[in-house]
Amino acid sequence: MLNYSFMQNALFVSIFISILCPCIGIFLVLRRYSMIGDTLAHASLAGITIGLMFDQSPVLGAFIFTSICGALIEFLRTYFKKYTDLILTIVLALSVGTAITIISSGKLHANADSFMFGSILTVTQFDMVMVVILSAISVLALIFLYHQMLYIAYDEETAKIAGVKVKLINYIFSILVASAISVSIRIVGVLVLSSMIALPVATALQLGKGFKITLIFSIIFSMIDIMLGLFLSFYLNVAPGGFTALVSVAVLVLVLLTKRIEVSIRTMH
Amino acid sequence: MIQAQNLYFSYTGSPPYVLNEINLEIHKGEYVSVVGENGCGKSTLMRLILKFIKPTDGIITSQAKRIGYVPQKNDFSNSNFPITVYEMLNSYRKLLKLKNKDILAKNLDQVGMSSFSSALVGTLSGGQTQKILIARALIGDPDLLILDEPSTGVDVGSQKEIYGFLKEINQHNQITIVSVEHNLDAAISNSTLIYHLINGQGHLCSPQKYADEYLKKTK
Repeated sequence: MLNYSFMQNALFVSIFISILCPCIGIFLVLRRYSMIGDTLAHASLAGITIGLMFDQSPVLGAFIFTSICGALIEFLRTYFKKYTDLILTIVLALSVGTAITIISSGKLHANADSFMFGSILTVTQFDMVMVVILSAISVLALIFLYHQMLYIAYDEETAKIAGVKVKLINYIFSILVASAISVSIRIVGVLVLSSMIALPVATALQLGKGFKITLIFSIIFSMIDIMLGLFLSFYLNVAPGGFTALVSVAVLVLVLLTKRIEVSIRTMH
Repeated sequence: MIQAQNLYFSYTGSPPYVLNEINLEIHKGEYVSVVGENGCGKSTLMRLILKFIKPTDGIITSQAKRIGYVPQKNDFSNSNFPITVYEMLNSYRKLLKLKNKDILAKNLDQVGMSSFSSALVGTLSGGQTQKILIARALIGDPDLLILDEPSTGVDVGSQKEIYGFLKEINQHNQITIVSVEHNLDAAISNSTLIYHLINGQGHLCSPQKYADEYLKKTK
């Protein structure tokens, strides 16, 4: 299987996805912003269609458009302080509306379906370069802003008192989310992308550990989910996105069951 | 340390004001408890001092070089957040750009929580959490400590320890303390001054005067 160059490309990209998605996802989940991940994943479809329409890289198109939508969510938060879900509906309407309009206009110079469900066949050399660049910048930004982002997620007011520029970091974070999404869309697909952001983190949270260990386990679970999803979808000849989502749910259920059994055994003693 | 002149605040930007013509001066080394009925503007005043919100009119200034803040446990705490006591304190130290890691152990020791360094914050009791929040607020040697209802959700034994510790750092370290209080007994026995807010207007008085004039009236 690994003799195929398309599979090597897919594997290469998957390693980056499995590191980047949970690193971003842990902050989204802990800030109860999982649905922002879902909204931006759908927003990336508009970026993909714009990229394809102008014969440019769809990954680059997705990154630019998703970054704009991420910044827009942050900007609208000032006006709709108590209605975050309404902001997501507005951004969803804008992005999905754009995508559907472009797709239905017939001006698309390629097929956008593979981006909806994910595909291991379509990873190009240019995509791989984009993935490496975006991932490297994002991981460096995360390392540099680790303590600031942890505190914004945990206790925003204390972060402000300690001098953290919360608004600026929130904008930077929007770009990091856009980056993780753009890196992942080729393999995972738009429709189940949010599962890659949230589910490995949800699984790691079940372990009841501190932040750093939860983050490390999120990456481990993410790697298990994506690698299993990738290899099994190859043999079953199904879209990797959908199958990876199913694997991640299965891993979560497995961890929940193990935890349950462990608690039962402990109470028996 | 803190001055407020003709301070007005309303969440809509127009009357009625939550805080109405507040004039207040808190000197270095004071321990001021801000008391009053629910909705009288205690927390709003605290948020103005912390610059979380801006006054509708008037001025509020602080000369504090560093402020330590102890939020109300119920306001910030997400018991499911995966963070250990050490991570919580160490990240805060990093935010303040302090290099010396030893201060974490020293602060934990001060509040009697040394053995809880690797515990998850969400698993601690109300009293233990409050002690950890105080240990965090003292990182970087603040000259002003602001607390929001420090006895909320804290058992009586821990309340005693916490107020004893606050009084000690106020007297020995000359840390100015402003504490929003609903625990009137603690306010009277620990503070050097009481700031009593009634319907958005307030005045400073001694704890004794507050106990004599206001508490007797309500009884």
